[in-house]
Amino acid sequence: MRSKGLFVIAEKEFMDHIYSRKFLMILSIILIVAIIGMITGSAEYNQQIEDYNENQAEAVDTGGFTGFMGFKPSLMTIFGSVGDLLMSLGAILGIAMGFDLITREKESKSLKILLSHPIYRDEVINGKAIGGISALFVALLVTGLIAVAILLIFGIVPSGDELFPILLFGIAAFLMIFSYFAIALFMSTVSEDSGNSLIYTLIVFIFLSILLPVFVADTTIDIIVGEAPEYPEELMEEFRGSMRAGGGAPGMDRSALENNEAWVQYRAEMQDYWNKRQSVSDFITLLSPTSNFEHITDSLSGGGPDTMRTREGAFTYADTGDETAGPLDILGSLAKNLVALIVVPALFFGLAYVRFMRLDVR
Amino acid sequence: MFLSCLYRRRGGIRLIEFNHLTKTYNGINAVDNLSLVIRSGDVYGLLGPNGAGKSTTILMLCGLIQPTSGECLINGVEVSKNPIDVKRIIGYMPEDVGFYANLTAAQNLHFFGRLYGMPEKEREERIASLLRLVGLGGVEKKVGGFSKGMRQRLGIAKTLINDPEVIILDEPTANLDPPGVADYRNIIRQISDSGKTVLVSSHILSEVSKVCTKIGIMHNGRLIHEGQWQDFAESVNAMHLPEMKINVETTSPMPDLKNPGIIRAEYAPGRRRAKIVASSDIRAELSEELFSHSIIPKEMALDATTVEDAILSFYHDQEA
Repeated sequence: MRSKGLFVIAEKEFMDHIYSRKFLMILSIILIVAIIGMITGSAEYNQQIEDYNENQAEAVDTGGFTGFMGFKPSLMTIFGSVGDLLMSLGAILGIAMGFDLITREKESKSLKILLSHPIYRDEVINGKAIGGISALFVALLVTGLIAVAILLIFGIVPSGDELFPILLFGIAAFLMIFSYFAIALFMSTVSEDSGNSLIYTLIVFIFLSILLPVFVADTTIDIIVGEAPEYPEELMEEFRGSMRAGGGAPGMDRSALENNEAWVQYRAEMQDYWNKRQSVSDFITLLSPTSNFEHITDSLSGGGPDTMRTREGAFTYADTGDETAGPLDILGSLAKNLVALIVVPALFFGLAYVRFMRLDVR
Repeated sequence: MFLSCLYRRRGGIRLIEFNHLTKTYNGINAVDNLSLVIRSGDVYGLLGPNGAGKSTTILMLCGLIQPTSGECLINGVEVSKNPIDVKRIIGYMPEDVGFYANLTAAQNLHFFGRLYGMPEKEREERIASLLRLVGLGGVEKKVGGFSKGMRQRLGIAKTLINDPEVIILDEPTANLDPPGVADYRNIIRQISDSGKTVLVSSHILSEVSKVCTKIGIMHNGRLIHEGQWQDFAESVNAMHLPEMKINVETTSPMPDLKNPGIIRAEYAPGRRRAKIVASSDIRAELSEELFSHSIIPKEMALDATTVEDAILSFYHDQEA
């Protein structure tokens, strides 16, 4: 029979978070910046809608082309700017909530007392996680409600189609913050004191949010994918020579080059090489909660990597997304990022759990 | 009933049992093949110098660390196999007792009381009476502002919150001031009178002597002596110790003491207190000398540091 420890500990942790000064301070900053971001974004959105309506009316009158303003502005652009803020402040909130959860118990000597009560060890770590998750949920709920209230104040009423992306944005933000909370909780179980725990967590945060996507990805990709296919220098020299000799001269023209077996093979190998690089890069950035959240936010607000891809060194516009994409389409396109945002905190929480269960209480 | 008969031999039932208990850290036995029985109603003192293995033994008894080998049982239940059942009937106070600094004493006790599943009304009443008992009734400030002594008092209250059958105290007077020590002794006497079993670990012999009926002495993880307190006290008195430190306190000023066993004596201003260094335990002779001057000795105690000397000398005598 389980004891009541899980509920009692979760409730205490929740109340500790809600009334803690650091939680309230960071939440206040998030709220202030979110309010400013939502107000600015809503005002810009209304202006864009106004421009769009004028453009549409003009196009109807003249029967002409609507141009770039032919696309209706997306409500998610407002949330896109708030997403940038959440990436840094949200991560800091998660870290602040988790980095001393276990070390504080060790430092205050209360862990020994706590574990001498009729409760299972897993109830302590699970209770702390549940308390933290609940407090995070409340923090994001408050932020979300205020954001929606600002939209309504500006006369922006989300349509049924827009509600799902907004909800998905909220879930992604929650998972991203929870990821850093879980990382901080793990560091708290392996560190001797809160100071070390904070330093270790910040190192991991910097690694995952800055170093991994920028530096490590390129280095790792080179190691995994290997060298790029060798450029067919001789073939190109022959081609350039024939071009210098004048078009139409016997030798090699562009169409001949396109059909040249060695060139076709080189292009196929190069395509394969870049595809491999892209796959490895996508996989590595999946490990970074910040990158995943950024990807989801950008995709939802319509300005993300899905709209623009590099191929063979040249930018080409890809499908900018169906305006009427349903929830399943959106989920499908972001599935791997959402799964990664669940797997990373689950992994760190699992490690924290194992470490705590084996912790020597002396 | 059957179990009760099985465990009942002389005195109370075998409430706490250690069977060949061993705990090894990095190849060193912190507790080495400890076998011991504590009966219900006993106030048992586990004595020994720092590092003797007392705290490790207690941590295993409370289910906080696993033995390397052997077992410990409380009321016939093996601790490592049924820690939750055991924890329901014990109250444990570690030496470095810690609480949640952001909560008041009552809020801390409510939290721990809830972990025992105590109903709110019962908790309220119990906490109020316990805080009065330890002298913290009416204290509303958060525990973060408590002195070490206040925390220790709160620790005693927390230990008793579930009305445990077995009370385990690790160095309970370590941080207490003199009035706190007196209160602690009274509380232990009350607990003992109510028939509960108490295990006290200490390296201060005089403390153990005032509350315990039986003692076990640990040294280097091993139990080197076990028995009635009185027997041990006589053995210590019979021992030839190189130096005994005796604290003397009298009701009126004392003259220079002339006992030939005195190596040196320091008298406090007012001459009502003195620190005596003697070649042996001459407390009885000193008392007689004071009486001959019509001076009543208020206290005549061996200094705490002497206890370790006594235990070690006792140990060496046993080995020899």
